[in-house]
Amino acid sequence: MTQQPKDTTEYWRWQEYHRVRSEKSWSNKDVITAGIDVGSVGSKAAIMIDGDMYAWAVTRTGSNSPDSAKKVLGMVLEDTGLQLDDIKYTVGTGYGRVNVPMANKAITEIACHAKGANYIWGPSVRTILDVGGQDIKAIHCDETGRVTSFLMNDKCAAGTGRGMEVFADLLKIPIEDIGKVSLSLDEEPEPVSCTCVAYAKTEAVGLLRKGWTREKVLAAYTRAMAVRMANLINRVGLEKEFVITGGQSKNMGIVSRIENILGVKTLPSPNWREGGLDPMIAGAAGAALFGKALYAKSQGS
Amino acid sequence: MKSQTAEKKYLPEMPQKEIDEANASVKSTSEKIMVDNIERMKKTDPNRPAAMKYFDDISNFFGQRKEEIEAEKAKGRKVIGYFCIFAPIELILAADAIPVRVNSGWYDTSKFGDRVVPVEVCPVIRSTIGAKMIGLSPYLELSDAVISTLTCDGMTKLSEILSDATQIWTMTPPRVKDSAQSLHLWKEEIKSIKTQIEKLTGNKITAKKLKAAIETMQKATKAFRRLQELRKGNPVIMGRDAMLVNQMSLWDDITRWIQKTEALCDELEKRAAQKAWACPPDTPRVIVTGTPMFWPDNWKLPSLVEEATPQGVLVGDELCSGDRILYDPVGIDEWTMDDMINGIAERYLMASTCPCFTSQDGNEDRINWLITKVKENNANGVIYYVVRGCMLYAMEYARVKRALDKLSIPVYYLDTEYTREDVGQMKTRVEAFLEMLSARVDF
Repeated sequence: MTQQPKDTTEYWRWQEYHRVRSEKSWSNKDVITAGIDVGSVGSKAAIMIDGDMYAWAVTRTGSNSPDSAKKVLGMVLEDTGLQLDDIKYTVGTGYGRVNVPMANKAITEIACHAKGANYIWGPSVRTILDVGGQDIKAIHCDETGRVTSFLMNDKCAAGTGRGMEVFADLLKIPIEDIGKVSLSLDEEPEPVSCTCVAYAKTEAVGLLRKGWTREKVLAAYTRAMAVRMANLINRVGLEKEFVITGGQSKNMGIVSRIENILGVKTLPSPNWREGGLDPMIAGAAGAALFGKALYAKSQGS
Repeated sequence: MKSQTAEKKYLPEMPQKEIDEANASVKSTSEKIMVDNIERMKKTDPNRPAAMKYFDDISNFFGQRKEEIEAEKAKGRKVIGYFCIFAPIELILAADAIPVRVNSGWYDTSKFGDRVVPVEVCPVIRSTIGAKMIGLSPYLELSDAVISTLTCDGMTKLSEILSDATQIWTMTPPRVKDSAQSLHLWKEEIKSIKTQIEKLTGNKITAKKLKAAIETMQKATKAFRRLQELRKGNPVIMGRDAMLVNQMSLWDDITRWIQKTEALCDELEKRAAQKAWACPPDTPRVIVTGTPMFWPDNWKLPSLVEEATPQGVLVGDELCSGDRILYDPVGIDEWTMDDMINGIAERYLMASTCPCFTSQDGNEDRINWLITKVKENNANGVIYYVVRGCMLYAMEYARVKRALDKLSIPVYYLDTEYTREDVGQMKTRVEAFLEMLSARVDF
């Protein structure tokens, strides 16, 4: 028997990037604020000039929150001409918010995602589903982006970005394609019965052995995740307009299934690949906006 | 008394060596936690009332109070433990016995309870079973008998399980409060407990002794209410400190507790006059309702609220481990034995807002208490705290939420376990809720 070469492709690896909106400029008179969102899987940073998005960066969270915060802040400053000292106020958010060394203040990702969604999609947004690396949150907000109620799932990777990474690797499908692949079947299979990542993985291996295609297994898993997220939204109560933030907002397999289950369309996401804002940075954007308000307050205005 | 050799129905045999090691290990962790909890309370309010020192000392489960009870026991006094605050304290005191509450707040004993019941069972129950298995709780170990009120499924089976190791006296509360037969049943339960207490202690509960006991407890209620009253205005005491004082009434010598609580209230009144607040007056004010939370280990939620960013302050609760403990006095028209027993039966039944009750018209007492508390204590929101497996509180949430929604009172359902592992995630929930209540974060 010939030995198969070991497949070392990292299917789970998603794109780390940074962007500067070069059409915007800044001067020393502007209030420049930063939001740093250290999540369990991804770290995001946003730089705002007078409350308007100037630059952002998305990278993977390492084993250490302060280092991840420094790394993503370094990335976001690249090509902006800004120095650390130019930033007037920094707000840390996300799971690692208390470990953001350069932050003036920490605010939960729940408040920041609502504020950020309000910025990205406008004041009509009422329900936000934030699918993070290790938890999911359903949030209600008012027209100013202020949280009015929220629910969070248990700490567990089920139905989250981390779960999707595990499945991308297991099924050898690049993470950026899993949404499309999960929608490639004519008929939707039954969802997997177990949403716990560890058990779902075992179940998936069993289904593959039974002869299920990778596409079918992925569809069954994505379906189970979407059902779980839809349940959380139903518990908090769906109010239009509805948006999805966090990494999974880019997974069309999740988005379309949730829309299908709930019978409602999400507001269309800006296309980040073509210069639009990235829904994954909603938390960092909200944090930078809070930074602006808090800076003004600290200056007594 | 149970014979030592009686066959055990539930509890597994554990080698003495394992028991000793487990006891030493959990005890040592708990001692550290008690010290840490108090240090954290001091840090939260750097001008913490001087009178708190007494309650800090008495809160040591392995310290002064334990030794006092041991000494009293050596002199022949009996110790009567209880789980639910349905147990008629006045009858215990009238028989010159020492009442102590024995529910477990230890996280680390629940893993021993897991050997007896499934993990789906409420952790208060599992942890109490575990505490008995390794002999951790001094008050439970010192109890000559334990009054167990069969309020929920957990308490019902806990009574059966602990019968393997301790003398258990059950009391059956009716599930519907306001009917003639309910009160009749409960009165019979009270009378039967009275007989048991007299038999155990060898002391007859005379009308004179019972009157004295009722009067003592009325004084306790007065001191207790005075403290709760002081929490209605700008914060003169942090919620955790008030909770500690409330819970110490469950273990301390009640006469001394009354003196110390009155002294604390004197100090708090002075602080109020000087406007020396325990935290800024615009701190979001929170009320907690749900599963009871017990010193020493289960101080998780109150600590998270009062150490959060933004900070919150617990201005009251609807907990049977908190503001409900001594709130209601026994009301007496004539000091006859019959009237006193009636008064006790009514106080322990009618005043209870335990979710074990239901009725055709709706069990309004708990909701009314909660809403009154929110209004009187000017709370900005309610945290509905439930440990997984605590079915009655979990199931009543939908109804409580609806009632609070109608009044636009924000409520957040927070479920947890007897574990330290979920502190990070709970912190996010608590802080997001406080941010919601707070006007200080500029939206």
